[in-house]
Amino acid sequence: MSTIATRVRERARKTPGGIALREKDLGIWQQVSWLQYWDTAELVGHALIALGIEPGDRVAIHSENRREWLYTDVGTVAVRAATVGLYPTNPVAEVGYLLRHSGAKVLIAEDQEQVDKALAVDDLPELRHIVYVEPRGIRYRYDDPRLIAWPDFLALGTEHRAAHPNAVAQRMIDARPDDVVTLIYTSGTTGPPKGVMLTGANVDFAIQELVERGGFTAPPPSPRDSVLSYLPLCHVAERIFSGWFGAGAGVCVHFAESIETVATNLHEVQPTVLFGVPRIWEKIAAGVQIRIESADPVKRLVGGYWLRRADWIGGILAANGGRHTAASRAVYAIGWLFCYRALKDRVGLRKVRYAACGAAPIAPEVLRFFMGLGLPMHEVYGMTENTAVATANRPGRVKVGTVGEPHEGVEVRIDESTGEILTRHPGTFAGYWQDPEATAKVLGPDGWLHTGDVGEWVDGTHLRITDRMKDIIITAGGKNVAPSELENALKASPYIKEAVVIGDRRKFLTALIGIEPDTVGHWAQVRRLPYSTYGDLSAKPEVIGLVQGVVDEVNERFATVEQVRSFRLLPKVLDHEDGELTATQKVKRTAVATAFAGLVESMYGGYGGGAR
Amino acid sequence: MSRPLLYLSYQQDTALLNTPGKRFWTSVLGIVAVSLPFLLTDDLLVVLATACVASIGAIGLNLVTGYAGQVSLGHAFFLAIGAYTAAALSGDPDSTRLIGFGITSVPIWLLAAGLVAGLAGLIVAPLAARLRGLYLAVVTLGLVFIGEHVFKHWRDLTGGVGVGRPAAVPELFGIQFAVDGSLFTKAQKLYLLMLVLLVIFGVLARNLVRSRIGRALAAVRDRDLAAEVIGVDVTRYKMIAFAVSSFYAGVAGALLYVMIGFVEPGSFNLGMSVQYIAMVLIGGVATISGSVLGALFITLLPRVTRELPAVLPFISSSSAAGGITVFQVETILYGLLIIAFLIFEPRGLFGIWIRLRTYWKSWPFSH
Repeated sequence: MSTIATRVRERARKTPGGIALREKDLGIWQQVSWLQYWDTAELVGHALIALGIEPGDRVAIHSENRREWLYTDVGTVAVRAATVGLYPTNPVAEVGYLLRHSGAKVLIAEDQEQVDKALAVDDLPELRHIVYVEPRGIRYRYDDPRLIAWPDFLALGTEHRAAHPNAVAQRMIDARPDDVVTLIYTSGTTGPPKGVMLTGANVDFAIQELVERGGFTAPPPSPRDSVLSYLPLCHVAERIFSGWFGAGAGVCVHFAESIETVATNLHEVQPTVLFGVPRIWEKIAAGVQIRIESADPVKRLVGGYWLRRADWIGGILAANGGRHTAASRAVYAIGWLFCYRALKDRVGLRKVRYAACGAAPIAPEVLRFFMGLGLPMHEVYGMTENTAVATANRPGRVKVGTVGEPHEGVEVRIDESTGEILTRHPGTFAGYWQDPEATAKVLGPDGWLHTGDVGEWVDGTHLRITDRMKDIIITAGGKNVAPSELENALKASPYIKEAVVIGDRRKFLTALIGIEPDTVGHWAQVRRLPYSTYGDLSAKPEVIGLVQGVVDEVNERFATVEQVRSFRLLPKVLDHEDGELTATQKVKRTAVATAFAGLVESMYGGYGGGAR
Repeated sequence: MSRPLLYLSYQQDTALLNTPGKRFWTSVLGIVAVSLPFLLTDDLLVVLATACVASIGAIGLNLVTGYAGQVSLGHAFFLAIGAYTAAALSGDPDSTRLIGFGITSVPIWLLAAGLVAGLAGLIVAPLAARLRGLYLAVVTLGLVFIGEHVFKHWRDLTGGVGVGRPAAVPELFGIQFAVDGSLFTKAQKLYLLMLVLLVIFGVLARNLVRSRIGRALAAVRDRDLAAEVIGVDVTRYKMIAFAVSSFYAGVAGALLYVMIGFVEPGSFNLGMSVQYIAMVLIGGVATISGSVLGALFITLLPRVTRELPAVLPFISSSSAAGGITVFQVETILYGLLIIAFLIFEPRGLFGIWIRLRTYWKSWPFSH
């Protein structure tokens, strides 16, 4: 049975000196070879056995992306336990829920912040050990008997390895395809998170499908590729791109210092394969536009000209499935000399040979923008429940606005009555952890997984997703509207960060809009508009006018019933800790609609005048 | 390595030539510099050789004034010490008029000149530990006057005012540099010698400033109190700065008059100190390549002003002809240039270069 553990071990045998991981420490990228990677992961495995982890137990990790995350993941899988990832942003209540629900015996916590969260939860009967990676603030100060420092944890492993040198190897031999290797908690825009059980067979299928057979990239990834690991590793997408691309294809993984330094780290690392969620791509695109607009006149003129050309090139590429025509290639070549090469280098995209976007819907304009800059951009589709294996736009056969074609050996169909997308393949999950009821709702006895997304076929080959089933708005007039399309069209503007369209059982559609503080702040500065806070900026009539312009522009592209009649600007930045966003930064519609009920009612002529 | 910013080691981060671009252009510059003797006339080569020597002196001043932030107007004093140490060491031992030891080997008298000047710097350094800013400037100014007086009257060493003495005799491995040879002329040989020495001392200085010492000096410059707090021994590093700077001045002084072959004690005056300050300010404070640029600029300036009378008739080439002389124009130009650079480009010629480089590096953004 091959797992990520056997794959890493295999790499350590074949290319012991090859570079597996790089992490920046005091300005220097420290390198980890495959041999060191496996050695440490094996030590973690021994240490877990020493702490009494039996096959089927759960090991939780609460940390930013770093080497220890992957060591723990691989070590845990090696001893037939399951990894549970917690988002670093998870507040105490959620940490408590996740630890209790998963019944994790060991928690690997990154630093004092995460240790404090775990210690703040009282009722955790099954949690026996908390391993902390960063000792600062914990060592010599905390006396909870469950705490172990990372070096001591590894020392336990060394000791155990000396006494039982084959313990981990034996567990790896015993591994069975239906072992649960990881619990991935879906963020859940409604209700508490659910733990998706992925088995060894699921992961193996996903690695074969997406990595070894090159389900995304063409040619398939190789040790010459490098990726930047910056999205939370507890999410299935990042697990694929930094965990499984590494174990499966030997891709070198670089850990970003934090989500704030992604731009700098991208510039340094210049990855060859890059996955981003729409928010990231929207932010990069907005950043490029703003920075060119604020450059000196010559650069603004040249840069602005080539950005407009990029739009045109992107349009041609989108129309041709991602392939150039002679004219667009010639224009691109000149633009490359004058702008695109330097621009991509500055943003850190110069060496990207495969860029992907997924996890949420994105506006086609954003995709076209990057395609025009010469980035091979592909929208892909999958969900945790099918190990992210469903459809992908293949290089050279891109259809912008769709999520691509089903992977080889993957069955995808659309339910005739509801329009729901169904998938079936060996990567379909084993069920929700301790929740057979919820499992039965999405997983039919015939093996078809109900994705909860509504979609349709385009030209018989490509899948287009309309929206999440439960998000579809039915207006008082009885019209079905997919809010995500409107929202993404709004979010394609560099000035808009969040948009929540409202209108279920209402006369018309309205929207709550959150501005992008960086770009709108810059816009206000250029116009010498003084402001203090985010809330103050949002309340400026000029800013409301700016957003009104964007809304009007978007409205022109939609039918009358689908137009946003009125909107309000959110007075605060939406936040995970306040329960308005999920850990993956998706908006929880119901939470937002409740939290800002006053604003919503004011748009429907209820109480409160509002700003407009 | 095609990812220049992905620093895998500290050595790579602090390397002198850390990008392929720098490596390429440095080698181009090296090739051009070495081939110049075969392209230019001898009189220009002499000027360039002088510029190389002046660069060493300017680097020395930049170490103490630019990097360590200790204003020194006494540079001429240390140059003089170097010049006379070297001249005396390599002087004719049989001369009845002047001190001389007949040691003509370049490395020996060069090192000795540097060490003696460095020692003098070390003696002066305690002043810097107690004084700051303007006071230090005035005290170092005093050094120049003391030096001028001593050198004018110590006839056995300097030959006295208006008489002077022969400069150091450059000889290495039996090759005489200051006379025309069969293969190379005197100017070609001297230029190459000075170029090699400039490269050696330039690289040494660069290494010094990117090391622990360099960082300590910068800390002292930016705020001595803060430097003290973070554990930098301020007195010690000020002494190091003065000693090293004086060493460089000594070396430059020893070489400065080799081209002309003659030293006159009156030349080590305040004007010379100001000239070096000008090199540092115009070239770029706290940069090694800036010092070289500044020295080149200041040394080549007289060559340019000498052409002025041909273009502008109201400037004359000698004081006898009346009107304004080229020498006066030169002095005025120094002043104007220093003022202009301080106001418009405080980072000097190097700052202009950095600005140009940043402009293209940040393309198509502004930063």
